[in-house]
Amino acid sequence: MAEVATLPPLPDQKTKGWEFTNLSGLDLDSYEPGSAAVSIGSADGAVVLPLREAGESHPELVEGRLGSLAPADDPFVARNDAAWSDGVLVHVPAGVTVAEPIRIEVPLSEDGVALNWRTLVVLEEGAEAEVWEHWSSPNDEVDALLNSVVELRVGQAATLRYVNTQDISEQAWIFATQRAQIERDARLDWTALGFGSANGKVRMETNLAGPGSEARVTGGYAGGPGQHLDYDTTQEHAAPNTNSDLAFRGVLAAGATAVWRGMIRVDPGAQQTDAFQESRNLLLSTDAHADAIPGLEIEADDVRCTHAAAVAQIDRDQLFYLTSRGLDEADAKSLIIEGFLESLVERLAEGPVRDEISAALERRLAEIL
Amino acid sequence: MATPEVVAEKRSLAGINSDYKEKFGFHDSEEGYAYKAPKGLSRELVESISEYKDEPQWMRDFRLKSLEHFENRPTPNWGGNLGQIDFDDIHYFVRASDKNSRDWSEVPEDIKNTFDRLGIPEAERKFLSGVGAQYESEVVYHQVNEKLEAQGVIFTDMDTALREHEDLVREYWATIIPANDNKLAALNSAVWSGGSFVYVPAGVKVEMPLQAYFRINTENMGQFERTLIICEEGADVHYIEGCTAPVYSSDSLHSAVVEICAKKSSRVRYTTVQNWSQNVFNLVTKRAVAHEKATMEWVDCNLGSKLTMKYPSIYLLGPEAHGEILSIAFAGDGQHQDAGGKIIHAAPRTSSSIFSKSISKDGGRATYRGLLEIADGAVESRSKVVCDALLLDEDSRSDTYPTIRIDENDANVGHEATVSKIGDEQLFYLQSRGLDEEEASKMIVNGFIEPVTKELPMEYAVELNRLIELQMEGSIG
Repeated sequence: MAEVATLPPLPDQKTKGWEFTNLSGLDLDSYEPGSAAVSIGSADGAVVLPLREAGESHPELVEGRLGSLAPADDPFVARNDAAWSDGVLVHVPAGVTVAEPIRIEVPLSEDGVALNWRTLVVLEEGAEAEVWEHWSSPNDEVDALLNSVVELRVGQAATLRYVNTQDISEQAWIFATQRAQIERDARLDWTALGFGSANGKVRMETNLAGPGSEARVTGGYAGGPGQHLDYDTTQEHAAPNTNSDLAFRGVLAAGATAVWRGMIRVDPGAQQTDAFQESRNLLLSTDAHADAIPGLEIEADDVRCTHAAAVAQIDRDQLFYLTSRGLDEADAKSLIIEGFLESLVERLAEGPVRDEISAALERRLAEIL
Repeated sequence: MATPEVVAEKRSLAGINSDYKEKFGFHDSEEGYAYKAPKGLSRELVESISEYKDEPQWMRDFRLKSLEHFENRPTPNWGGNLGQIDFDDIHYFVRASDKNSRDWSEVPEDIKNTFDRLGIPEAERKFLSGVGAQYESEVVYHQVNEKLEAQGVIFTDMDTALREHEDLVREYWATIIPANDNKLAALNSAVWSGGSFVYVPAGVKVEMPLQAYFRINTENMGQFERTLIICEEGADVHYIEGCTAPVYSSDSLHSAVVEICAKKSSRVRYTTVQNWSQNVFNLVTKRAVAHEKATMEWVDCNLGSKLTMKYPSIYLLGPEAHGEILSIAFAGDGQHQDAGGKIIHAAPRTSSSIFSKSISKDGGRATYRGLLEIADGAVESRSKVVCDALLLDEDSRSDTYPTIRIDENDANVGHEATVSKIGDEQLFYLQSRGLDEEEASKMIVNGFIEPVTKELPMEYAVELNRLIELQMEGSIG
């Protein structure tokens, strides 16, 4: 490929931010850029279209917005920019509330395919919507690559709920750069699940760009043998009176590794910031490994920023108690793990999202236990 | 509030640091130096230092090998800005007088004057029993009281130790921090001079803290002391390093190496109160190994310097070893305190904690940078890392970069960090009790760092509180 020469080089473990993820086994050329049988739902009052089609029929909604948040100097974003074929545009006009969730199914099903996927969600002033995106594979044997770029623009006083569940093949690579920009008095509620993939990196960045904006980010991942899960989150407070609250929970079975890196950044002048960040990992085996790298960079003084990180195993006392009450060890363990994840599920408002996330976590635990 | 005691305290408080420049900001005449190497670093310089000190061949070889490491390694590009250091514009070796004095009366007059101003003789009269005081690159005054000697404790400067206890020094030398550990450790290894050597025999408990005062006194002069502490089985020692340096116009470099070996069931505490003048680059490598059931504690207070990069570390090598790091950083105008700690759990049932308190003010930047690792096999290990930061104005900056690596499921690790400003309610409460805003703020800051200061010997805690109060002065607009 001729244009490869101009693309930024792939990171190695000496590249900042990539120290804990080894890409030496990645041979990009062995994956052919391909397409997927994407299914895109619809919504009254909103434009929901495949991105290519939207670019032709509604260029005014795409131009100037597509690529406005994702950093083009990132090696994976640059490759997505150069090669993307499939994508979706969700545009909700000012003042419109979309009642039903907008569902998008992105299957990664063919061996040897590199799917460059693109999501652009734009909520105009005062709009409200819920977007559910599901990245999946039919089984865990598919050897493919998913390189996603997701841009979420939440306009003034708008409310977006974005749910992204990732359950692609455990043989597949995943690279995802997801960035949200939240304007004045707007609110983003972002939920992410990560179950699949062999290796790669998922970035989730929220930029609180307008005063009074708010972001709530909830993430859960569960890894089994041979999987390396890498999550990189940023909460950037660029305006005063902003509020962010991020919580991640990870469960790692034998042979799984995970790294979570999180940064709270408070820009000069972003006073009255309230930021919270928490990451907890539960290791189910001595063969599991977790790294937690929380970070704070604070350049305003009237702030309250807190982070917490913990890595622990199943509490023996709890296990003993439950087995003494007649549960066998496997049941007792899964009960404890469910309890560990419960606090994550409780962050979600009661309703279909909570039910589906809860059910998905339960299914996943049955797989890895 | 102005009771006579408070007035008296304020007066003595002012004596600590406020008139720093008038009091300590002097140059002693530089002509009196017995030997002062030209600026810059070379193989010849390293050889001549070694020759001057009449060192054994192995040490000379070690220095030269270290110089190669230093030259081959790039300057670290993380942490603070080290690009400002001109390694060719530094005196790497200065010697103040020809011999070490064991007796106060033998100490040269001008050096005595310096100590007088620093308050050492009084301190000694009061509670010091062993004093190793570093003036320029050498320990010139050193007194070990008879009780220590009778216990078999060795507390001497490193040069003397190398002459008198060569086998002991050689056995442990650079085993904890090898010369190629990092660029600055390599530099120290090449040009080191002075520092302390402490050996505590098995079962001996040293009741009084061993103290050493350090000063930098020559313009453009580097201070490269090297300290080695060996604490044998069941022994107990507390070493205190306090720093004070006069104000100078051009940048100065301090790059020490401190190695500590805490054997089975021993306990070592190493306390630092660092108050270098605000043009000093303070780039220090400190590392301890703790064997079975040993306890190692670093108490690290960073107040001075232009840039400090220092992360005392503890390797818990034996089962049930325990490590603790207490860290205070105060970053004022033009200062960057990049401090923290590292603990590596490498054996079963080890435990550790890191408590860090930082304060940023007047555009200063305080960074906590840490590593907590539970290595494979360190089953049933526990650790807790807590970092709190206080920001006193909108121009200042606070960063927290803790890294946690867990390779063992049977571990329990927690980390918490908080960044905030002084609480309005706290201020309001104290003001309603009759304190003015400045007094109230000082009280809140002292309360904030109290968990660390309470671990210091009383004299140091008082001095630290006073230093911080002084730095706080005028902070309320």
